[in-house]
Amino acid sequence: MNIIITGLITGSMLALLAIGFSLIFGVARIVNIAHTAFYMVAGYIIYYLSIRLGLNVILSMLIAVVAVTLLGLLAYKFLIDPIREHELAVMIATIALALIFQEVTLQIFTGDYLSVYFLIKGYFIIGGNKVFYQQLLTFGVVLVILLVIWFLLMKTRLGLAIRSTAEDREVANLMGMNESRLAMITLGISVALAGVTGAVIVPLAVLSPYMWTEPLILMMAVVVLGGLGSIKGSFVAAYILGFTEALVTFLIPAGAFLKGPVALSIMILVLLIRPEGLFGIAFEEER
Amino acid sequence: MLLEIDHLNVRYEKAVLINDLSMGVDTGELVSLVGPNGAGKSTSLRAITGLVAWEREIKRRSTAGEIHIEGKVTFDGQRIDHVPAHEIVRMGLVLCPERRRPFREMTVLENLMAGAYLQKDKKKNQDTLSKVYDLFPVLKERSKQISGTLSGGEQQMLAIGRAFMSDPKLLCIDEPSTGLAPKTRAEVFEKILQINRLGITILLVEQEVSTVFKMTKRNYVLSSGKIIAQGTGEELMEDEIIRKTYLGL
Repeated sequence: MNIIITGLITGSMLALLAIGFSLIFGVARIVNIAHTAFYMVAGYIIYYLSIRLGLNVILSMLIAVVAVTLLGLLAYKFLIDPIREHELAVMIATIALALIFQEVTLQIFTGDYLSVYFLIKGYFIIGGNKVFYQQLLTFGVVLVILLVIWFLLMKTRLGLAIRSTAEDREVANLMGMNESRLAMITLGISVALAGVTGAVIVPLAVLSPYMWTEPLILMMAVVVLGGLGSIKGSFVAAYILGFTEALVTFLIPAGAFLKGPVALSIMILVLLIRPEGLFGIAFEEER
Repeated sequence: MLLEIDHLNVRYEKAVLINDLSMGVDTGELVSLVGPNGAGKSTSLRAITGLVAWEREIKRRSTAGEIHIEGKVTFDGQRIDHVPAHEIVRMGLVLCPERRRPFREMTVLENLMAGAYLQKDKKKNQDTLSKVYDLFPVLKERSKQISGTLSGGEQQMLAIGRAFMSDPKLLCIDEPSTGLAPKTRAEVFEKILQINRLGITILLVEQEVSTVFKMTKRNYVLSSGKIIAQGTGEELMEDEIIRKTYLGL
């Protein structure tokens, strides 16, 4: 039971992170290493507003998501956009950005582990295991958000433009889609998703300035397993990895230390056997 | 003139791709731009639809070589040589690109709706869609199919249909016959004639000269980025040098 719940929660968190990461990679070929750092920043903002300032937790979450999105857009405008055509430079710049976030958080909040209260207290017992209502709430919210994202991408005009640009930005241009504006909007959505992930996970997680590294590795493994740029792939792969992680943690002694290595092994195996991932597209040569 | 190109020059670093090109297309015409491989036909279309300038903007931010573009392009009475590509579409100058390039992961209908991205009037969109379905019944049959699984001919029809959805005044079509079986080619050319008869001006880039000359009243022959001749198909075929050297017939 613990395995199922942990698997679902971890999987959901990874799905949200990986979809955001995949989206901006697909549309603008931006590899945003700082993606999970944004998620951390959201967590800390919520902590600061709700615990230190005593604001309502839900209000804090909303403010955090908006703040992180704005931060992301600023980072895009002044850091990423000027060097966007050098993919490696973008990667290095976003690593730097993540480290900046880490150090600033360290300065403000020190390295102490911090946490936020549950939104709803209480639990029920299934098969001898405690299931916290908070865990159910987190899972439910994630599903709703995934549904909203699916709707946005598949059923709206903006979604059509995002998917077109992801597939062929030159042709998208010919349809009248402003690809640099779309890249910016997509980055906003992507970072907002990272912020939302932070918000839904923060009551269950422990905050530390280094909390962005572990999900980063897992998220990368998810994206590789699912196929770069494939939203459906990210979704499926996130739960596969979420459950794998839960299995490793609960069934192997000291398995918690093996989470990273297992994820990395999966990533390497996929790259060796099926580089395009489960649902990926083998990229066609661009003109 | 609906489209007027005045002394257009395009250089990629030192390579001259378009050399002092001047030409025009009148409302309602079906005009072809023909010439050997590497003559600069596609580059001309890319230059007038803003793609060369777009590429230059992108390259400027990376280390790749400099692209130069000079000259005056007027469409529908307005200068467009400094208008970004996605704005040019809105004015009614639409390019159906080389190698068709459908959005392969999307359905046929989604591709067509992508073409109609700028058309906010839903009713008009439905009208245009039914026109496209009339022209290409196969697209209606396959509207739910993922377009990457279509045959080459169907993908070409889709590419033209998608461009048609952008509500063009002038439709530029780049090499629609490449890689198609003779029967399918004939069908594609027939559709292009039908679109022209609907009142849409067409600028057609092609290698398949013998068929094209039967469709057009006016043609430009391009070689090494320069217009070296123009006229009706018959006139061009009479000139031995042009026929043998540039048209390979």
